Amino acid sequence: MLMPAFDYQRPSGLDEALGLLTQGGGEARPLAGGTDLLVNLKLGKQTCRLVVDLDGLDELKVAAGGPAEVCLGALITAAWLARQAGALGLSGLAEAGAALGSPQVRNRATIGGNLCTARPAGDLCTMLLALGAAAVLAGPGGERRVDLGEFFRGPGLTAMQPGELVSAAALTAAGPGRGSAFEKLGLRQAMEIALVSAAAWLELTPDGSGIQAGRVALGAVGPTPLLSTGAAHALAGQAADEATIAAAAKAAAADAKPIDDHRGSADYRRQMAEVLSRRALTRALAQAKSGREAQA
Amino acid sequence: MKKQAITLIINGREHDVLTAANRTLAQVLREDLGLTGAKQGCGVGDCGSCTVLLDGAPVNSCLVLAVQATGKAVTTIEGLADGAKLHPIQEAFVQHGAIQCGFCTPGMILSAKALLEEEASPDDARIRQALSGNLCRCTGYQKIVEAVDAAAKVMAGSKEVG
Repeated sequence: MLMPAFDYQRPSGLDEALGLLTQGGGEARPLAGGTDLLVNLKLGKQTCRLVVDLDGLDELKVAAGGPAEVCLGALITAAWLARQAGALGLSGLAEAGAALGSPQVRNRATIGGNLCTARPAGDLCTMLLALGAAAVLAGPGGERRVDLGEFFRGPGLTAMQPGELVSAAALTAAGPGRGSAFEKLGLRQAMEIALVSAAAWLELTPDGSGIQAGRVALGAVGPTPLLSTGAAHALAGQAADEATIAAAAKAAAADAKPIDDHRGSADYRRQMAEVLSRRALTRALAQAKSGREAQA
Repeated sequence: MKKQAITLIINGREHDVLTAANRTLAQVLREDLGLTGAKQGCGVGDCGSCTVLLDGAPVNSCLVLAVQATGKAVTTIEGLADGAKLHPIQEAFVQHGAIQCGFCTPGMILSAKALLEEEASPDDARIRQALSGNLCRCTGYQKIVEAVDAAAKVMAGSKEVG
């Protein structure tokens, strides 16, 4: 399959990359893993006159973390997350990375690419949304952060301004008493766009007896990955038990806005949203509890 | 469109190539370098028949621009055999009936190689996961999985002896 002709630049730093994107205007596209851009160019879904290869931007490949916040560089791959995010305590993110595409795709697909492609079923998008992440954007005007709840505007649409790049995803660090998990349902077990996915995060109260706060994000049941306000309310301040999880899962499903499509019906998606939310919350809670016990 | 002069390192050898930027690694391997082991199946990263190893990691070469592979170590199926001596994975594929039409075979073997370099004794599920980006329309996968399992044992055995 052939691609249209384009010029190619490989900047060696972020400022140079931003300059090239601004110069190139709407026809300049950043290239990270290429698993979306190159596919779209081959299928004629996108046009491009200048490809700006970000591979030289080593600063975007770094995971920087402190006790409070973790900054995951936009060029970190799904494969890296699958292997290493668990060591950062972000097991849900490791699961999301492992669920994306195939081994070959995971070795190229990036956090920044997944966020910018902004599909409602985006695996990393949905998990990062549940983790309360913000997109760190670099642009001609400087750096800014946009919470992912505001970042996704519609299928394939984001809050990015022309000339901006996602440089990182910033999120609260993992810790004892915090847990996360990702569940993905598809028609096949790999190389699949989610029929429904559920990403859960929660944090126990300091004495471990209850849930301080929690989030459930659902993929593929709305125009963007959806953060369930109902689930968050059903978790905050409640007992850390099965009954709470069941109620939160039900609330999450109620917030879903699925449609019928060739993968499945809206009705089935809504039912599965509840099942997956319950599974994800159950595992997130188990992680939070065991982390706390390990610390005690 | 201006051509770029790049140096590709394929199976340990340097190749100087002049290519337009919009050509993929798959195209350059096949059309410029005559390395037709990597196949063009779907062209969009779904089937894995174009799989090569990039710095040891399996990738769909149809989704890597040739210019992106500059300076990286590319391993193709042609780089596995040692002269006439097949790599243990290749040998196992032959012995276990894991090859029918052969179209998926180079990709399968390279994905398996990457797996076995990371994990010496993967179980069935792990083998299937590692090959989940490689489609086969002929075999039904069973013989392929058995071949990888057999190759793992041979490779582990060699390591113990050597």
